[in-house]
Amino acid sequence: MSGADWLSYSLQDFVMFGPQVFLRLFVRINQDIWPWQLLAVLVAIAVPALLLKQDGRSRRMALGLVSMAWIASGYGFLVGYFGPINWPAGWFGWAFVVQGGLLAAAVLFGGVHERRLRNGPLVLCWLMAVCGLLWLPVVEAGSWQAIALFGVAPGTTAATGMLALALMTGSWRGLYLIVPLLWSLFSAAMFWVLKTWWLLLLPMATLMGIGAAFWFSPRQGRSPG
Amino acid sequence: MERRFNRRQFLINTGLAGLALKSQVLFANTSGTPASSPITRRVPGTGEAIPVIGMGTWITFNVGGDTKLVEQRTEVLRTFFDLGGTVVDGSPMYGSASDVVGEALEALGARDRIFAATKIWTGDESETREQAEQSRRRWGVDRFDLLQVHNLLGWQGHLETLKAMKADGEVRYIGITTSHGRRHREFEQIMKREPLDFVQLTYNLLDREVEDRLLPLARERGIAVIVNRPFQGGSLFRRFQSEPLPGWAGDAGVGNWAEFFLKYIISHPAVTCAIPATTRVEHMKENMGALYGALPNAEQRQRMADYVRSL
Ligand SMILES: NC(=O)c1ccc[n+]([C@@H]2O[C@H](COP(=O)([O-])OP(=O)(O)OC[C@H]3O[C@@H](n4cnc5c(N)ncnc54)[C@H](OP(=O)(O)O)[C@@H]3O)[C@@H](O)[C@H]2O)c1
Repeated sequence: MSGADWLSYSLQDFVMFGPQVFLRLFVRINQDIWPWQLLAVLVAIAVPALLLKQDGRSRRMALGLVSMAWIASGYGFLVGYFGPINWPAGWFGWAFVVQGGLLAAAVLFGGVHERRLRNGPLVLCWLMAVCGLLWLPVVEAGSWQAIALFGVAPGTTAATGMLALALMTGSWRGLYLIVPLLWSLFSAAMFWVLKTWWLLLLPMATLMGIGAAFWFSPRQGRSPG
Repeated sequence: MERRFNRRQFLINTGLAGLALKSQVLFANTSGTPASSPITRRVPGTGEAIPVIGMGTWITFNVGGDTKLVEQRTEVLRTFFDLGGTVVDGSPMYGSASDVVGEALEALGARDRIFAATKIWTGDESETREQAEQSRRRWGVDRFDLLQVHNLLGWQGHLETLKAMKADGEVRYIGITTSHGRRHREFEQIMKREPLDFVQLTYNLLDREVEDRLLPLARERGIAVIVNRPFQGGSLFRRFQSEPLPGWAGDAGVGNWAEFFLKYIISHPAVTCAIPATTRVEHMKENMGALYGALPNAEQRQRMADYVRSL
């Protein structure tokens, strides 16, 4: 399609589904993968536990788990469930998989900080994010089955996963920002059109996660708090 | 296409009999049509009669692999057929809607009852046949009754192929679509030059630009008109539903707001069919009410437009 063709479309033209269908994606995936989401809960708890240790090996393991969460939510939720009703979401699914791959590459090729970091507040933020954000689709859908777990739901995964930026060295960070920023923009526009106002907190949390990660990451000439 | 419909089935299946008690004019027959026969319009090119209310699938039928919602949409389609509808409109742009229509048609065993209309939506003008074939398989129909170039995207190339497909009997009718008032000037030029059977455009009580040029031109050129966004994507209900219907609505054959909006459209002499979309069986019943009874005359149409403007 030419530029002029694209310009003749509005935002609504790309949100080709209703809120009910979207919110049921959370319910459906939770029903279909039961009881495997318990594994996602374990991962969501294991990451902060690993972050409490200040050694490089634990950090790499934590990042490895976060990378798996990106891949799982991208391939599972976005490609498998969301893609069939919204083709851009399918593309984002593959972008999430690439994002997970990037993180894995950072783990393997020395993109992880070895210096001490302010892990107390970081862990607190992590727990607040995984425990708080999962309720947003529940509030919108009016069903607890719409719970949005880290590693299953892309919004929770992106917002919480951003905190992992704190563990990464400078050169890798830029790469790690592209997909979450595009996803935040896309999902904010989509939630706006769908009028699912509570879900707008997800892209906002992603941006806050980026800010927090920069704040908590080790800096030159600054002792960890 | 064959229509299986009778009065008894109509009354039993719809519960509109109850509605008729509430709205005495619903079945009043002021237009000379038997009260329980669906109102039809002829396709100018062939004289084939099609019911004036069809069904859209944008957003509403894009439910993916959600079996619960597929079943609900199947019930919506069942209601549509039971109430005398035939024209169903889709597009490859509508995500999984084509697959869901296909599944619903299969479940209802209703492939012989549908007037299947879809679109070609690709910038690659060499892909017309390929996309039409993909859609055909997704819908599970033998062939489409109508193929339309969606939003004029790549229309030159697609229209050439569609003409050839029509000549080969691969499709019965061909056309072009637009919506939201986009590219009307170019649309008009194409209507003047090309041998179109159908055009699809937006027309409703608030978006009336097409009354000036496109609708008269369609009449003049003998082109059938399908009207999309008859409820302006649902916003007509959000704006006016809480208001009372005017006291004279019954005289215009109108018993509720859905009929008010739809009968205004289908009573325009150039309009062949309006295609409201819904996810809900109750709404489908309301919308299909517009397929029956009296239609407003020119003076009543004017009052309808004035009334809505006054709210
Ligand atoms: N360029 C193009 O070719 C083009 C562009 C636009 C549309 N179209 C076609 O035209 C069709 C119709 O347009 P549209 O879907 O955009 O909008 P529409 O039919 O004007 O409005 C659909 C909305 O109206 C609501 N609705 C339907 N019946 C109702 C009732 N009785 N009471 C209250 N609310 C009711 C539906 O909600 P509920 O689900 O709650 O009933 C839905 O949200 C499309 O589905 C598509 O097939 C084509």
